[in-house]
Amino acid sequence: MTHPLEQLRTDALRDIATAEDERLLEAVRVRFLGRSGAISEWSEKMKSLPKEEKPIVGKLLNEVRAAITAAIEARADEFRAARESAAVANIDISLPGTPHERGALHPLTQMLDRSIGIFRRMGFALADGPDVETEWHCFDALNTPPDHPARNEQDTFYLRDGRLLRAHTSTVQIRAMQAAAPPLRVIAPGAAYRRDEIDATHSAQFHQIEGLYVDEKVSVSDLKGTLEFFLRELLGADTAVRFRPHYFPFTEPSFEIDVKSKAMKGGEQWIEVCGCGMVHPAVFKAINAARSDSAYDPEKWTGFAFGLGMDRLAMILFDIPDIRLFAQNDLRFLRQFA
Amino acid sequence: MKFSVNWLREFVELPASVEQLAELLTMAGIEIETIESRGANFDQVIVAQIQQSKQHPNADRLTVCIVDDGSGRTRQIVCGAKNYKVGDKVPLALPGAELSGGLRIRESKLRGVDSEGMLCSAKELSIAEDAAGLLILSPEARIGAPITEIFPTDTIFDVEITPNRGDLLSHFGLAREIAALTRKRIVTASVPKAEALPAQSKVGTSVAISALRECPFYSARRIENVKVGPSPDWLRARIEAAGIRSINNVVDVSNYVMLELGQPTHAFDADKIRGGIHVRLAHDGEKFLALDGKTYPLTRRDLVIADQEGIVGIGGVMGGEESGVTETTRNVLLESAYFLPASIRRTARTLNLPSDASYRFERGVDPQMILPASQRTTELIRQVASGMPGDSIGVAGEFPPNPPKITLRYERCNELLGSPIESNTVDTILSNFGLQKNGDDGWRVPSYRRDLQGEVDLIEEVTRVYGIDKIPSADRSRFTPLSEADRIYDFETKLRRDLVALGLNEARTSSLIARDQINEANELIELRNPLSEDHIALRVSLIPGLLAALARNVRAGAERIALFEVGNIFSPPKGEERRSLGIALWGTMSPNWRSHQKRRIDFFDLKGVIESLRVPELKFRRGERRGLVLTAEILLVKRRIGFCGQLSNTEAAMLDANGPVLVAEIDLLEIAQARQRPRLFSGLERYPAIRRDIAMFVAPNVTHAEVLRVIDSANEPLLERVELFDLFTEKVGENAGQNRKSLAYSLTYRDKNRTLTNEEVSAVHARIRDRLQREVRAELRE
Repeated sequence: MTHPLEQLRTDALRDIATAEDERLLEAVRVRFLGRSGAISEWSEKMKSLPKEEKPIVGKLLNEVRAAITAAIEARADEFRAARESAAVANIDISLPGTPHERGALHPLTQMLDRSIGIFRRMGFALADGPDVETEWHCFDALNTPPDHPARNEQDTFYLRDGRLLRAHTSTVQIRAMQAAAPPLRVIAPGAAYRRDEIDATHSAQFHQIEGLYVDEKVSVSDLKGTLEFFLRELLGADTAVRFRPHYFPFTEPSFEIDVKSKAMKGGEQWIEVCGCGMVHPAVFKAINAARSDSAYDPEKWTGFAFGLGMDRLAMILFDIPDIRLFAQNDLRFLRQFA
Repeated sequence: MKFSVNWLREFVELPASVEQLAELLTMAGIEIETIESRGANFDQVIVAQIQQSKQHPNADRLTVCIVDDGSGRTRQIVCGAKNYKVGDKVPLALPGAELSGGLRIRESKLRGVDSEGMLCSAKELSIAEDAAGLLILSPEARIGAPITEIFPTDTIFDVEITPNRGDLLSHFGLAREIAALTRKRIVTASVPKAEALPAQSKVGTSVAISALRECPFYSARRIENVKVGPSPDWLRARIEAAGIRSINNVVDVSNYVMLELGQPTHAFDADKIRGGIHVRLAHDGEKFLALDGKTYPLTRRDLVIADQEGIVGIGGVMGGEESGVTETTRNVLLESAYFLPASIRRTARTLNLPSDASYRFERGVDPQMILPASQRTTELIRQVASGMPGDSIGVAGEFPPNPPKITLRYERCNELLGSPIESNTVDTILSNFGLQKNGDDGWRVPSYRRDLQGEVDLIEEVTRVYGIDKIPSADRSRFTPLSEADRIYDFETKLRRDLVALGLNEARTSSLIARDQINEANELIELRNPLSEDHIALRVSLIPGLLAALARNVRAGAERIALFEVGNIFSPPKGEERRSLGIALWGTMSPNWRSHQKRRIDFFDLKGVIESLRVPELKFRRGERRGLVLTAEILLVKRRIGFCGQLSNTEAAMLDANGPVLVAEIDLLEIAQARQRPRLFSGLERYPAIRRDIAMFVAPNVTHAEVLRVIDSANEPLLERVELFDLFTEKVGENAGQNRKSLAYSLTYRDKNRTLTNEEVSAVHARIRDRLQREVRAELRE
């Protein structure tokens, strides 16, 4: 025959399981565990039990109380969980998130940041120089004396005091070499200016990254390796890179670099992105004269230099048809690069 | 320069296809800009002669022509051109012909008159750009002959010749380069040999040079009894293909030889030259009427060709209006000379008078070609304009010396390229370019390669032919410490990203500003040679550019504009460059489904942006600034590092902006330095804080700063933080004629070492309240 406490447990567990809401569950709790509930009654009864039964019934009573308590807790958890779920059941998660205003970096900045990041991984440090320059830094020191056919004074903006707005960032090569002895490994992002008629591909001010590497036995082979690595990091590993002989007064040999890449719209065509070459010994000689030393002995040091057109690269990579968009700062344009 | 592939082919065997030729040149550093098909590739276009021409009965602008097409019958053609006369030979497109642009010719009626074909312009046949009238063919053209006999199909390359390669500015020169690159033989048939040149007479001739530096060598040949007239079709086709207009047979021959051999020559009307030729520098203030009909003032830096009465030409740049060859010229004096490139360049630039001749002289012509080109021109003039050349040629001066010998070290070549190249290969490449090995390592440079001046120039020639694709790519690394420029770049990058996170968009405006952006109060750093009113001076502030961008966006319908720029500004008068941060804000904070607040962006939004840059010890102080209705100076410790404020309504209205336009500009390096100090950890609070609020009414003129100062002056060590959380103004008094201001602050109390009791905090709080009542007459609210 089962002990009445066993029956009590069975009844209690049944009532807990069938309690339909938290109010009914509370009634069940009061009935069994309340101050005058069934379990309390049994505690009272214990006092009158024969001594030998007390430990047995006491143990059973504890078990039953624990079981009922646990069952009520579990049932209450279920109700709480159901109530919580019900509270969020009707939330429309398709509603938009709380709006946060966040701006955008200019696409040219993004292009510069990416490019600078690649060169830094290759060990280039940044250098800089002023936009307002002397003729010596812009032309003479770069092996372009006044009567040189490549000296494009017509295309250069001059200030009233005879200084000019640099026509290329190659001026920073000169600044960097004046300031420090070799070896030297620098890049210089910056603006350059050209007195061109303005149209979809020409702007009075444009942006370049200039690079210069001077060390012992720097060769065309290093120039190739450096710029191929850069362009493939920037445009994708499958980018085709072509070096084409060209002419700049301050490098010899000189090259232009064309690329073909799937990352670019119309990627089937060679697109020119960079001018580069081995630093002309005449440039080193001009630097030595300006430094009054022979730090840049052309027999000991060789170097390469390059200039990358950032506007053009950004136009290619972001498929921007008109260079003038960069300076207009229309939010409908800028926001597309957020 | 434009090159005819047919013409090149006369000098050298070309690669099989036009594409291969283009690729060869491109990879040798000779850039092809455009490739264009030229010439009449039209089956049904023939030579016809106009026999009659009469007015169209129904159209004023049309005529009806009867032409002989060579078939034995005549055709009636309606024609719109006016530039012909009866007897002229012209191209006739027969019915069935298809012209450029897909125009198909049919027999048709034009305003009621039958037309059996069409008479064509040069443009319709893709021979030249001239669309003005009919292409008048030379009288020798055979009636009925296909037009392709006269204008064979051709390909025209527009080639960018780099400034160091003046030797490539002719068909012979480019062909010589192609021959060297492909190891073919160059055909020199049209270059007169030394033995074919006339005797040079130095004494008793009519040439004298008194500016030997600017003109080391000059020659003049007299050709008598020439018949000046239109050029034959072949001559005209050649020069027009290269983009030069036909003038007359003598001038055209001169241009032809320039395009062929690279040496510009000039033909004077010999009867207009009084006395001998004198090559000299101009006198200051001397004036000259040039062939283009304009008068040029000259200085003693300009080289001129003169006779005993005055200037007849600007040496190497342009001939004179009065001494030029015209229909009435009978005797020609043909100039062929060498001019100093620097001198030509200076004169052509100063006078803004570039010409095909100056373009070549600037880059240096081949001294060894001066006399052969003169001879070639003479022969061709005789051929197309008859005439009798003199037996001898008058010369003065000496040829400029040949370029110096160059030493090439093979190991230096290998080092610079980073790849070993066989010395035999190097020798072959250089020999193909016409260099001669002269003993040990010395190379003799041909007279036409003045660009080869040193060892690296020879190495470049080797690279071009050897192929840079055969040179392996290397990587080299070297440890590189951070530079000062790196530090600034890193700071600016972080600053940009912070501002973007605050909802601002980065602008990049031009460093050059427009005339209408200039505030007349500012000193200017003006350009001496601006190209347009849009770029006339360097910016002294980022604000004008940002406001222009703001106005553009207002007009484009933007509701909220938040722009910043990080860039260079230029301080007058010397234009020292400084990095600067500019901010411009305008518009409305729009309500959204989470927040119903809609309000104008105002001064405090701008101040909040500046404060969130986390520059320690930044202070704002009332200031005055032109164009602003409200200005705050921004101070770092006690130094002014920038300003912020609100534009006056007048200024805002010019931008079409309603409501406040906020601007700020701050010196970037000042911020960078202030933020440079590393942050130190200050520990976590271990004991709880107690917060108490104070709400009060004060007079409208009591400022937040004053309230803070009063609270601060209590010097209560337990007070940790004071925050404003509410502010409004209301009208009070019987007639509501006065304002009072309600301010509400939350004060946080804490002790670092223990938990505070309510009683302690109440006592401190009460003291602060008393102080506020006393010092700013605060009316405390419960």
